[in-house]
Formats: sequence, structure tokens, C-alpha cells
Amino acid sequence: MSNPWKEAEKRQPIVMRIIENSLLRDRVAHAYLLEGDPGTGKKETAMLFAKSLFCLEPEDEFMPCGACINCRRIEHGNHPDLHAIEPDGLSIKKEQIYYLQQEFIKTAVESVWKVYIVNQADKMTASAANSLLKFLEEPSANTVAFLLTEQSSRILPTILSRCQQLTFKPIDSDRLKQRLVEEEISIPMASLTSKLTNHLEEALEQSRDEWFALARSIVLKLYEGLKGGGLSAIVPLSEDFYSHFKEKQQVSLALDLFVLIHRDLLSIMTGEEHGLAFPDRLASFQQDALLLSAEKLADRMASILEAKRRLNSNMNQQLLMEQLLLKLQGGHAFV
Amino acid sequence: MKFSIQKDRLAAGIQDVLKAVSSRTTIPILTGIKIHASDEGITLTGSDSDISIESFIPSEEGEVLIATIEETGGVVLNARFFNEIVRKLPASTIEFETSSSFQTIIRSGHAEFSLNGQDADEYPHLPQIDDENVFKLPADLVKTLIRQTVFAVSTSETRPILTGVNWKIENGTLICTATDSHRLALRKTAAAGLPEGEYNVVIPGKSLTELSKILDDTNEPVEIVMTENQVLFRSKYVLFFSRLLDGNYPDTSRLIPDEHKTKIDLNTKEYLQAVDRASLLAREGRNNVIKMSSGDDGTVEISSNSPEIGKVTEQVNSLAAEGDELKISFSAKYMMDALKAIEGTEIEIQFTGAMRPFVIRPLHDDSTLQLILPVRTY
Amino acid sequence: MEGFYPKNGRVILHIDANAFFASVEMAENPALKNKPVIIAGNPEERKGIVVAANYLCKDKGIYTTMALGEALKLVPEAVVIKPNHAIYKEYSKRIFAYLAEVSPLIEYASIDEAYLDITECAHLGSPIDIAMKIQQETVKRFDIPISIGIAPNKFLAKMASDMQKPLGLTVLRKRDVERVLWNKPVLDAHGIGEKTAAKLQAHGILTMGDLAKADVKKVQSIMGVRGVRMRDRVNGIDDRPVDPEANTSYKSIGNSATFPKNIIEPASIRVKLRMLSRAVSERMKQKKAVSRTIQVMIRYDDFKTITRSQTLQRDIQEEADLFAAAETLFFKHWNGEPVRLLGITAQNAVDKRMQTTQMDLFSFQEEADKLEPLFTTVEALKRKFGDSIIKKGWME
Repeated sequence: MSNPWKEAEKRQPIVMRIIENSLLRDRVAHAYLLEGDPGTGKKETAMLFAKSLFCLEPEDEFMPCGACINCRRIEHGNHPDLHAIEPDGLSIKKEQIYYLQQEFIKTAVESVWKVYIVNQADKMTASAANSLLKFLEEPSANTVAFLLTEQSSRILPTILSRCQQLTFKPIDSDRLKQRLVEEEISIPMASLTSKLTNHLEEALEQSRDEWFALARSIVLKLYEGLKGGGLSAIVPLSEDFYSHFKEKQQVSLALDLFVLIHRDLLSIMTGEEHGLAFPDRLASFQQDALLLSAEKLADRMASILEAKRRLNSNMNQQLLMEQLLLKLQGGHAFV
Repeated sequence: MKFSIQKDRLAAGIQDVLKAVSSRTTIPILTGIKIHASDEGITLTGSDSDISIESFIPSEEGEVLIATIEETGGVVLNARFFNEIVRKLPASTIEFETSSSFQTIIRSGHAEFSLNGQDADEYPHLPQIDDENVFKLPADLVKTLIRQTVFAVSTSETRPILTGVNWKIENGTLICTATDSHRLALRKTAAAGLPEGEYNVVIPGKSLTELSKILDDTNEPVEIVMTENQVLFRSKYVLFFSRLLDGNYPDTSRLIPDEHKTKIDLNTKEYLQAVDRASLLAREGRNNVIKMSSGDDGTVEISSNSPEIGKVTEQVNSLAAEGDELKISFSAKYMMDALKAIEGTEIEIQFTGAMRPFVIRPLHDDSTLQLILPVRTY
Repeated sequence: MEGFYPKNGRVILHIDANAFFASVEMAENPALKNKPVIIAGNPEERKGIVVAANYLCKDKGIYTTMALGEALKLVPEAVVIKPNHAIYKEYSKRIFAYLAEVSPLIEYASIDEAYLDITECAHLGSPIDIAMKIQQETVKRFDIPISIGIAPNKFLAKMASDMQKPLGLTVLRKRDVERVLWNKPVLDAHGIGEKTAAKLQAHGILTMGDLAKADVKKVQSIMGVRGVRMRDRVNGIDDRPVDPEANTSYKSIGNSATFPKNIIEPASIRVKLRMLSRAVSERMKQKKAVSRTIQVMIRYDDFKTITRSQTLQRDIQEEADLFAAAETLFFKHWNGEPVRLLGITAQNAVDKRMQTTQMDLFSFQEEADKLEPLFTTVEALKRKFGDSIIKKGWME
């Protein structure tokens, strides 16, 4: 079994280093604000930190063993000195903060530390935030708060100033893809959307969007059509294209998909077959790559990027696409 | 874990520990009751993390066999189902058997339940009694200490430490103090059995109220242990644990006046009834405030006036009165609470001025003290 | 009609809803009429005292503050009812609202008593016409019988209304004083309690006549300046005005503001709340009023309006205290939407002289050290010159 602390270190080296230092130097702050995109591992990190505080046999004096009774109880939500609250419906209500206060005016049930985790802390109502503030102003000894948020700008500045901030770097596409698959997104779709954004919620939304699924297949058909030679072959395909991609933003996305197709081809050419945007097309792309020279591939990518630039300068979309398709087809002239 | 036990003894034990189980907990394992079988008997535990109650059922009591333990061990079972099942089982003995996955078979007569359990190791770890730091007080004394102080704890969250009762042991004397900053209740005892060492803890008022319900009105000794995190009370088979309040209790001893300008001795019951009558109209007013005045001739008058309803005046006979004339206003409720907490048919009240706290004590007894802050009028 | 009104004097009515609580209970539940009714604190336990009783009981010797047990010995068949002050207050409010229609110069003396100055009411008829009309109307509208005293001042009006109950109508002119009042004991004079009466008796002053004729200096030495005033009153002299502001119970003092642009920033909302708190505080100070119930009104962009109030532990008046209460209330109940109007109201404001403050164990020392010398002086003055000498505004 992989060590979750080491895994976290790989994804968020800076954050984990700060935590390691505060544990080793016995300089644990009263409050931490964990800020970062969804899926960047804020909650896992807060739980790891809590386990480190409670762990009976920490490895190298800071890494939780994950096996002792305290680590297990934290994992199962059964540790009586760790309290986690989540939004109740749309917001975190004052009563939930009151519950924490009630908990923390008392001594710990069995240990020295009293830890609380407030997930989506930006969802606190104004009065909940004010109550929490009072409590952060007079922290009792050995109390540690973890406030988790996607946007620290939505946290009261008076709360922010009382927290040590830990900023989580955006999720990488491999990790994001993995998270999408966990959310039951198909591998082809997860591979593609994880390349288009590094935001979990956005990627999820896109992966479940019918328009996007259709966009993907239209672009792929058009790419296949380009290989067929002769303009007549692509006319019906491009009609489908124009009726689907109407808005400028939609055309822009289509161009992004073309870029990703060609980046996959480039990867395959260089022997790197992992992390493709279209892994389900591997066999077909391998064939295409054999027929392409590196120069031609570079030319095509330059054309697509050029088209993207011109799209932004408000050129007629249909004209722009026709010119691009001709250029891309030209690349296949030898067939 | 495998054992069989008499149904009525188990049911009684469950009733004891159920008092501590809350359905509103956020900690999943606390919705359960922990059952632990050792060679000596069965221990049941319930907890809402603030208070925890352990009930011990010995395997033998005198000549009587209560439980047969075949295999020691433990499990946590959902409190509600466990309780209902045990109450409704047909036979007078019940068999328990837990598998390694905490699945528990409960058998009685021809009925057999299989209940999913949880790992007993995950249940909160309660402090163990360490014989060195135990001291003993009679149960009825503990109940009295609680009754005479707990009503004065604060119900407001502005100073959380005041929601508890301060138990302080020094030089073999236990002093219990509670105040909501408007009144203060203090009870001292130097009962035999108090330790020489110094202890100073603040016990949540709610916990003491619960404890008081559990203790019997007998002079059987209660064993008491104070640890860093918890205080523990043990009567014969029941252990009661409470978390403490975090922080230092304010030093109130210097705020209790040690001299007086006016002293009035009264019959407790007569005075209480007079205050009760005066408060009948005051209650409808804004503060439940009544006035008390004493003349130089020893007369005491209690009155109250609510402009919308009417007024009431009553002369009270004092047993003795000395010192300055006095006019003071105070909350009738605080006075009645204090008088009800005092044991003794006669009291003395010592005043030091209309804007200073006054002190009520049973006559010739300084173990109890009730202090009330007056109400300032304009 | 003017002929019935004095050229230089006043015409004052004292209106008294005798056995008011019992009357209200009978009005609410007509089945109780013609039955003896007692209102008492604790009917279930048969303890407590008689708070009110109807005339069927009073005729048999039951009086207010009598122990319920004793009262039931006198009238075992009496119906005992627990007081319902909310309903009494409601009736009182409605009756007074009606009286205020007759003349705006109305002074509420208590829940069931009021003075009405009808000097300027010649257009409504003679004083007796007006009084009879009021008696008929209160029975018709509210099913509450009242007694009325008609006199040139408050003291005589009060004495007059006490003479015939229930549904009495008594005129007491200044020239009647000697004949009607002087032979009565001083204790019957409104404003003289048992203690004072005892003191006067000790000096040989037994009747109102004795007091009226007593030496001014002697009266002053017995009961201070208050005695001088009482002596005037039993001589038929009382120039106290009927003051609509005198009893300040149940007043609200509030301010609100509609904003030219909706506001949503907590910081700007705080600024507005502070501004309103200041305005309300200034008005409270002008009226010498304090309050412990603070209400905040929020109107949103879509005109949805909510009012939320909070009752505090103590009376407040200062801007900072009002602001703190209003801020807490606002942020507890605000839904985060843009706000177009905000209001702050101090409800049930009362005269500062009625204010009481529960002292605190951890701060009394400072307060007592500061106020005790002043308090002692005031007490000394009161003892010397009577209670009212130094009441108004001594703590400003």
C-alpha cells in the first residue's frame, strides 16, 4: 500500500513541507486556511495533519502510521477530539459553529489536541463567520482549526489574518483524470477533459455535457474526413460542424480539440503513448503518425494556432475554418 | 466475545448507560453502547463525549450467578436496537456471540438476532481509576453539594467557564463555587476522606445535574478521581465520567465581603414566602425586582411595584437586626433560589450597602454561603 | 354649553375600570357573569393571593392581596382564574384608545385608570353628558363597566371616582370638599399610605379635615414637602396637569432610512446601522427613555420586509449599545440580498427612572465606588424633604 503522506508530498510538495516543519518544530498554528481548487487534496491533507497530531506511532516523528487506533478512528470519523463540519444545505449555519464552540470550551475527551475541520469555510453565513471569529480570537491551547476553501477571497479578512495560509497548487492532468474516473467518467472522456481544464468541477461538468460529447465526435470525424482527400469528402462533414459550432467560443473549443489531436500525434511520434487526450484512438493515430513527418505536423499545429489567433480578432468563422481545413488537408496531399 | 447473561440485569445496565447516549452526536460510534466481557463480568458504556456512563454487571454476586463468560472481548452495538431487542427477548437469559467482523448474534429462547457491530477499540478511551488518587465522599453529600451550587451556574455563553461549578480542594477542604456573575453559591466541606493534595477543576453544570440523578440518596461512599481531562465518580456498579471546562476559574474569594453594615436574622420559610408573594406582581414587571428595607427598629419590609398592575407591601418579622438602615432592590428569583438551596430554618443576611453584594448564610453555619448582587434603581 | 365649564379652571375626569381583570374575564366569557369570580396567582395549588375579584366577591369581603385560601372560605363557590395579563393589556389599550378620541389630553395612571382633561370639550356637551356617554360606550364597545369622577383637578377627580362603584358617576367640586372629604380618615386620601397615616395619627391628625387645617410647618416636619402638597390637596388644591407623556410605558422609539442605492457591502451596512443607532439614541436621551427590546427592520430590493427583535439582559440607551444589538440582529437574519431600507426601533421604551440594572459580581466594585457617595446624598435628601424632591433627572 502506498504511503498517503508521500503521495500528498508528490502532489503538493510545498504545503506538505510546511506541515512537516511545523510538526517537527512543535510550531503547530491555531488555525490554518487551506486554499485550492477542488480535487487538490485539501481535505485529505487536513486529515493527514490531524492523524499526525493524534498518531501513536508516527514514522520519522511526523508521518502518521495509518494503522494505530487513533489513525483508524480519524479515518472512520470516530475520534472524539476531531470534529469536521460541512455546509448544511447551501451554507454553514451559526448553530454548527455553536456546536464547535460547545465542544471546545471543554477539555479534550482523551488526548491533548482538539482539532476541527471546516470544509467549504467560505459557505459560512455572516453570523456563523462572526461566531467563528470570536473563537479564533481567543484560541484555547492545543486547539487546531483547519478551514478549507476554494476561494480565500471569500473569507472574512479578519478570519484570514488569524490563519496560516496553505495554498494548494492546481491539480495536474493525470491526477485530475484519475479523479474523473473515480467519478465514473469514461476513460476517453476523462482523458480529454482533464487536458482542457485543471478544475475538477469544470471537467466533471464538461464530461457529462452532451453537446461536448457530440463536439468531440464531430471533430474526430472531420479529422478522419480530412484524410479522405478531395474537398467533396469534407463538405457534408463541415456542414455538421458549422451547425454544431456556432458561437465563437464553441469554434475556439473545436480548435483546441484539433490542437490536442495533433499533440497526441506528436507524442506518439516521440514514443510517448501515455497521457493521450484520445487514448481510444491510439491505433488509428499510430497509423497516421507513420505517414507524417515532424515538419508537417509542426506546420499543421502552427496553422491551427494561427486560426485560433485570428478567431479572436473577429474574422468570419466559416471562412476561417475553410482556410484551415484546406491547409490541414494539404498535409495529406501525398495520399 | 461470547457470554450469556440474565436478561433483567442486562436491561437494568442498559438503562443506566442509555442516559449518556445522545442521538444527536456527529461521531458515529457514539450512537452505540460498548459491551465488554472480562472474566469478572460485563461492562456497558454509553457516552455523548461530554458525559460517559459505565455500568458493571459482575458475573457472580454472592452465590448468585449472573453471567457466564466463555470468551472475553468487546463490541459496540447500536444503542436503540440493542435496548429494544433486549427488552423484548422472550427468555430470562440471553446469549451473545461476536464474530471477528463484529457481527453479533443475540439469542434468547427460540429468537435469534444478528446485529452488525463496530470495533470496540474505536470507542472513546476513558481514564482508568488509579487507586492512588481516589478519594471518597458519601453519595448524599455529593448530591447536596451539587444541589446547593449548580443552580447558580451561568446559562450564557459569554464566559463559558462560568457554565461550570468550580471544585477546589485545598488543605483537606472541598469548596464548590458557582456564579453567573449576578449571584454566587458556595458550599464547603471538610468531610473525612478528602485528600491532602490540591485539586482545582471546573465541572460543567449539566454534567453535575445528570450525576445527581444517578446517585442514590444514601451515605454509601462515592469514589472520585480528578484527571487532566475528566472527573470520574464511582458508586457501587456505576461509573460516571464528565469532561471538564477548559480554562481558569476566576478567583471569587476576594469578591465576597467579609464585613457588614447591616445584619438581619430571619426565619427562612417565612421570609421565602414573603419574597414569593412580593414577586407575584414583580414577575409581571420588567425584572422581577423587589425592594427590601429595614428600619432602625428592626422592622423589615418587602415591597414591589409594577405600575401597570399594582403594588404589594409586606412586613416581615426579623429575629434580630443590627446596623444601619437599609434600602436595597434585588431579583426575587435569585433570592428564592438562594433560600431554597440553604439548609437551616434560620438565616442571617449581611449587607454592606445598596450597591454591594450581600451574603445569606444559615444561622450558626458557615459551610454554605449564597451571595446576591443587588439591582440598581434610578 | 360653555356655561357648564368654569371660566378659569379645568374639568378633569378620573376614569376607573373597577375590578378590571374580573370584568375582562367576564367580557371574554359571559358565562361567568352573575358568578363570583376571583383572579389569583396559583389556582391549582390554592396558594397565592387574590389579584382581582368581581363585585359579587368584593361584597362578601374579598379584597385584593387576600390569601386565596381565606377568600375561598368566604365564597367557596367562587370561580378562580389565573391572570392573563396579555388580554388585560389588550383591553386596556383599546379602552384608552377610545378615551383618547374624546380628548387627546389623557394620562394613563395604570392599566385600568386614566385622567382625562375635558376643559376644551364643550363642543361634545356638558361634562356630565360626556361622562355618561363614556360610561355607555365602554359597556357597549368593550363590555367593561367604569366609574367616573368629575372634578376641577386630578386629586378630587380620583377621590370622586372612588366614591361610587361600580358604574358610578360622581361630581366633586372644590366647595364640596369640606362636606364630603373632611370627615374621612387621612388614609382614604389618595397618596397617603398606611405608614404615613400612622405617622400623622401619632401627631393627632386623624381626618382629612385635620390635615387640611393643620399647621403647614407641622405637616412639613412630619412628612416633608410631600405633606405640604397633601395638605393642599385635601383643601381642594391640585395643579398637576394631565400629562399624556407622564406614563411612558409601551413606547417605541425608532428611526429608519431608505437608501438611494441598494446596499449589500457589510461595511456600508454597518455605517448605516451606526447612523440609525445614533439617531435613535439621541431621541431616547431627549425623552429620558431606556429600552431592552431592540428591533431591526430589513427591506430587500423586492420589497420583502422582515422585522426581528431581541430582548437584552439590561436596559440600553447609548449609541454603541444600540449598534451592537442591531448589528448582531442584522447579521443573524440577513439573507445576503441587497437592502433598500433599514430601521432600528427601541421597543417598550420606559422612563429612565423606571430602569433597573442587575449589578455584576466582577464589576460592582467600580460602579459602587463611583455612585455610592451620590446615592447616599440623595437618600439623605429624600429623607429630609420627601421622595419626590430629587427624582427627576438626577442621574443625567
